[in-house]
Amino acid sequence: MSKKQPQFFNRELSWLEFNQRVLDEALDKSVPLLERLNFLAITGSNLDEFFMVRVGGLQILKQQAVPTRDHTGLTPGEQLAAISQRVHEMTAAQYRCFGEELEPGLAGSGVRRLRPADLSERQKERVEGLFERDIFPIVTPMAVDARQRFPLLLNLGLNVAVRLKVEETARSTPESGPVRPSKHFAIIPLGSRPDRFIQLPEEAGYAYILLEDVIQMFIDRFFPGQTVLEHAVFRITRNADLSVREDMAGDLLAEMKEVLDARKESSCVRLEVEKGTSKVLLAFLTRVLKVSNPSRDSLSIPGPLDLSAFRKLASLDQFPSLRYEAWPPVPSPDIDRKTSIFKELANRSIFLYHPFDSFEPVIRLLQEAAADPDVLAIKQILYRTSRNSPIIEALRQAAENGKYVTAIVELKARFDEARNIGWARELEHAGVQVIYGVKGLKTHAKLCIVVRREAQGVVRYLHFGTGNYNEITARLYTDASYFSVDPDLAKDASAFFNAITGYSQPHGLVKLQAAPTSLRSRFLELIESEAERRRQGQKALIMVKMNSLVDAQIIKALYQASKVGVKILLNVRGICCLRPGVKGLSDNITVISIVDRFLEHSRIYYFHQGGEPKIFISSADWMPRNLDRRVELLVPIEDAPAQKRVISILDTCFKDNVKGRKLLPNGQYERVIPPPGKKGLRSQEALYQQAVEVVRQVQTASRTVFQAFRPAG
Amino acid sequence: MTTQPQEIPTEPRAVSRLVAVIDIGATSIRMAIAEIKPSGEVQTLESLQQAVSLGKDTFTKGYIDTEAIDECVTVLRSFREILRQYQIVEESQIRAVATSAVREASNREAFLDRIYVATGIAVDVIDEAETNRITYLAVRGLINAEPSINKNETLIIEVGGGNTEALLLKSGQVTYSHTYHLGSLRLREMLEDYRAPVLELPEIMQIHIDRAVDQIRRRLSLEGSIKMLALGGDIRFACARLLSDWSRKSLARLPVSQLSVLSKDILSHSVDDLVRRYHLPYPDAETLGPALLIYVRLARALRLRQILVGGGTLRDGLMWEMAIREAWTEDFHQQIIHSALQIGRKYTFDEAHASHVANLCRKVFAALRREHRLAPRFETILIVAALLHDVGLFVSNRSHHKHSMYLIMNSDLFGLGARDLELVGMIARYHRRALPRPTHEGYARMDRQSRVAVSKLASILRVADALDSGHVQRIQNLELNVDPGEFRITVRDHANLMLERYALQLKGQMFEQVYGMKVVLRETG
Repeated sequence: MSKKQPQFFNRELSWLEFNQRVLDEALDKSVPLLERLNFLAITGSNLDEFFMVRVGGLQILKQQAVPTRDHTGLTPGEQLAAISQRVHEMTAAQYRCFGEELEPGLAGSGVRRLRPADLSERQKERVEGLFERDIFPIVTPMAVDARQRFPLLLNLGLNVAVRLKVEETARSTPESGPVRPSKHFAIIPLGSRPDRFIQLPEEAGYAYILLEDVIQMFIDRFFPGQTVLEHAVFRITRNADLSVREDMAGDLLAEMKEVLDARKESSCVRLEVEKGTSKVLLAFLTRVLKVSNPSRDSLSIPGPLDLSAFRKLASLDQFPSLRYEAWPPVPSPDIDRKTSIFKELANRSIFLYHPFDSFEPVIRLLQEAAADPDVLAIKQILYRTSRNSPIIEALRQAAENGKYVTAIVELKARFDEARNIGWARELEHAGVQVIYGVKGLKTHAKLCIVVRREAQGVVRYLHFGTGNYNEITARLYTDASYFSVDPDLAKDASAFFNAITGYSQPHGLVKLQAAPTSLRSRFLELIESEAERRRQGQKALIMVKMNSLVDAQIIKALYQASKVGVKILLNVRGICCLRPGVKGLSDNITVISIVDRFLEHSRIYYFHQGGEPKIFISSADWMPRNLDRRVELLVPIEDAPAQKRVISILDTCFKDNVKGRKLLPNGQYERVIPPPGKKGLRSQEALYQQAVEVVRQVQTASRTVFQAFRPAG
Repeated sequence: MTTQPQEIPTEPRAVSRLVAVIDIGATSIRMAIAEIKPSGEVQTLESLQQAVSLGKDTFTKGYIDTEAIDECVTVLRSFREILRQYQIVEESQIRAVATSAVREASNREAFLDRIYVATGIAVDVIDEAETNRITYLAVRGLINAEPSINKNETLIIEVGGGNTEALLLKSGQVTYSHTYHLGSLRLREMLEDYRAPVLELPEIMQIHIDRAVDQIRRRLSLEGSIKMLALGGDIRFACARLLSDWSRKSLARLPVSQLSVLSKDILSHSVDDLVRRYHLPYPDAETLGPALLIYVRLARALRLRQILVGGGTLRDGLMWEMAIREAWTEDFHQQIIHSALQIGRKYTFDEAHASHVANLCRKVFAALRREHRLAPRFETILIVAALLHDVGLFVSNRSHHKHSMYLIMNSDLFGLGARDLELVGMIARYHRRALPRPTHEGYARMDRQSRVAVSKLASILRVADALDSGHVQRIQNLELNVDPGEFRITVRDHANLMLERYALQLKGQMFEQVYGMKVVLRETG
């Protein structure tokens, strides 16, 4: 390979660029202030996860000196160095945003953060009372010493480090206090306390003080008779326990498997310390926390730590003017809410695009199925779902009503394990046949089958999705839903379900494609077929919308297609390892990314196929983990109205010049700007308005028929 | 003429039926769930497949060991779960069959009992002829849609784990069917027994295959052009690999050269490789290479450049049979008759006499429908018996009816299972001489229903045979009437029926006993 430019982008750095785009939303003055704060909080929680999952893995690789390079030729050490540099820049930008823009802006709008020095007498009294009553009794300082075993600190939790003056006369009785540190240092773990934002009485608006500030105000009270020289808030990020979270390290997993067992004790991969901390205290912390490379892995934070916690503040609902205007999901006019969903879905397919279209029909399908006497069986895959999920409730009732209910519950869904185990038990008690995923693979496909016996025969109602069966995230993520009663699709869906539940060996699917068996080869085939058509002089076009593009084999196939002249439009929200617009390599490839109020989450694949397009929705991204280590589905959208809708959605996204960013050949993203004098097109807004407009038209049309309104009862 | 409703099962029913067929093969158990629409259309809802090691046991040890039985029980229990989802619980909704791996096991009865006790599924072990018949049912539709098959001689071949089934069609008619002990798994197991050096295995395999292929080839006249229609999972896999646009709903044309390259390639890889490369279940990967080689060698022996591949499976045939229930289609009836004629010719029968008697039987059977109350398929059985009643003459003039029975029961008659074949043999046996008696071997073993059917049909055959006792087919126009106590046969244009009347006196006694009616022969000027 030539020395100048690798053909790929490093996935970690590309991910950081994604986080930068989220940060850009926090910096965007046209976004309401609390929403900006929310975006900032998201950048914080994103980084937390990034460190736990990705950086942790890389650090292990580096320590174990595993000789491995990524597709851009970087070693783990080189990647870590590059990440550290980028993260340092990004952290500075995050706190500039917080300190210079959001905090003053919010204060001006009535949301004020108070420092100890700002408190009025009344407020001070209130805080002191609170400290004595609610904080002091439950917060416990721990004396620490470099020679002793360091206490186990909670991952991502806040702590206060305290440096004490060494008393010559450290003879005071050790029994006299709750803890009487005789050493230089103490740690006060705050854990992950929910009450970090303490609201204080204020004339107008909302005023709060942070828990760590309150602690620091009264820090002397923890150490009677001693002199506190210094205190600082800090936080550690641990390497996530990789042995159970099999996909966390993604493509690194294979190399890492063997080294994992040796690393049971999860190390500190990042140390964040309040700015202004002395070298002595910092040196102590990096030593006891075994931070392997302090200049790389420790960060000095010029503001409140753990920005992700500000998500809570961002959801304050007494400031509607600081929030986005509500875009309530619109009930699709394709599905009449007054008639049975089975009647609505009979004989046709229906495509919905959430959160513009309401998710309610999906829930209603399950609810009606639970109560319908003709329904024989329900088969459902659940990956992540909400607390008190109406879907789980429907499955439970269905089982109680004597339906044959099978649920595949993916216990390995990251960070949702505990919750999933809870409701899985509940379902089992109700008589649902619960299957805990597939050995060695995560079940990521989104599928629901309702088997119903009707006069004409058995009809299987299918729902395929790109997002989880979670009515909460369905209001925040853009995702596609596809209902169908196509018998061929149904046959495939049943076969797929039987295969993953172990009732049958996998065998030939006709319309669906599944990972980890045929999905990768099918995608490669489709890309190659488009290239071949181009070679034969046809118009060739690939349009794809997904979350991440990482897979090297797919990227190479796209380069090949680009070289023969296939036009390739990629809408990749997150990581993109493909380098677009490089002469002789990827001239014909355009990559855009949209970051807006809804998380872009749908996966849509379009292949032109000489004018008879093949269009699919999928649960899978073009990432090795999706194609090789997960159970995924690729679902063809075959009926004309749905195809039209999907194409229009893709077109709208590619036209976005308000929230769209274009990926440049150098790896940076550039905002797409509307031509001078023209109004910009914001795709999420346009899609919402389209959804509203369709409903309005239908209502107008129906208004030509008068319906008498009769009082109920 | 009124008929009893329960005897006309083809009558369309108002609602669709959910049914399942289960096929217990040498390497896997497969199940298909389908819905039979009131129109008779079969709509498959689900197909499932699980690996078992029945064939490994039977083809090496001769019996199925406990572990393999437990394996089957587990699979069938899990299939039952799926059936519950569709509320398929009645025995009449489930047809389960087992083929060679169970058929040849010395402990097959114990196996079947264990399955029944553990799962409630009654498994029928189907014999070779029945397998052929069902396979034919499965491809009927494909064949009818392919005019070239009707023009040419076509060999339908399905290589299974234990056996290879061959059906020969001439002008769309089944003229020959046989099951050869050549199967992909059987071959593999045998080779393992040889402990031959690995490198020589393909060659040894080929020698074995060629020996059997030669057997098949010698049965074919090889006049003019012959086509080969290949069925089975292995060839379907090859077809899907080689022809990307094959829909499985139509016949595919597969170049033998390509198939040969693929089979060599597959044989050169380990089973583990195949599983990884093609995402195949292990049992399929194990049998794929040998099976494809059998197809290739056969195609080469027939000097074919391309073969046809069809998507029909045993399960399709079983499903179709459930759809039509007991009744056989006219087409199928024709195939059986055709096959019977082939056998008759082999034993140099008096074809004119046999056909004439068969024709008369058909008329009498129809006229007596209210009296005998037998389902339409018994007509086919009667006609086959009529066609073959004298084939025993090939062996000897003495007691030729007994020879007929023996020859019929041991023939490769297409489409009739062992039980039906036994009926045909018995009817032929009783076309003359002694009436059925409990002391007669074979007759006593039959169940009551079958014994009654033999009596009803043999007595008709006797009457019909008597009407052509001169073997000159004199009686062509006749009218049949059922009157109280009398079955009247009125013949036109014949002055002298003395011979026939005499024969009837002798052979009509059984009819009188069975139906309680005298047979009266009249002539009109």
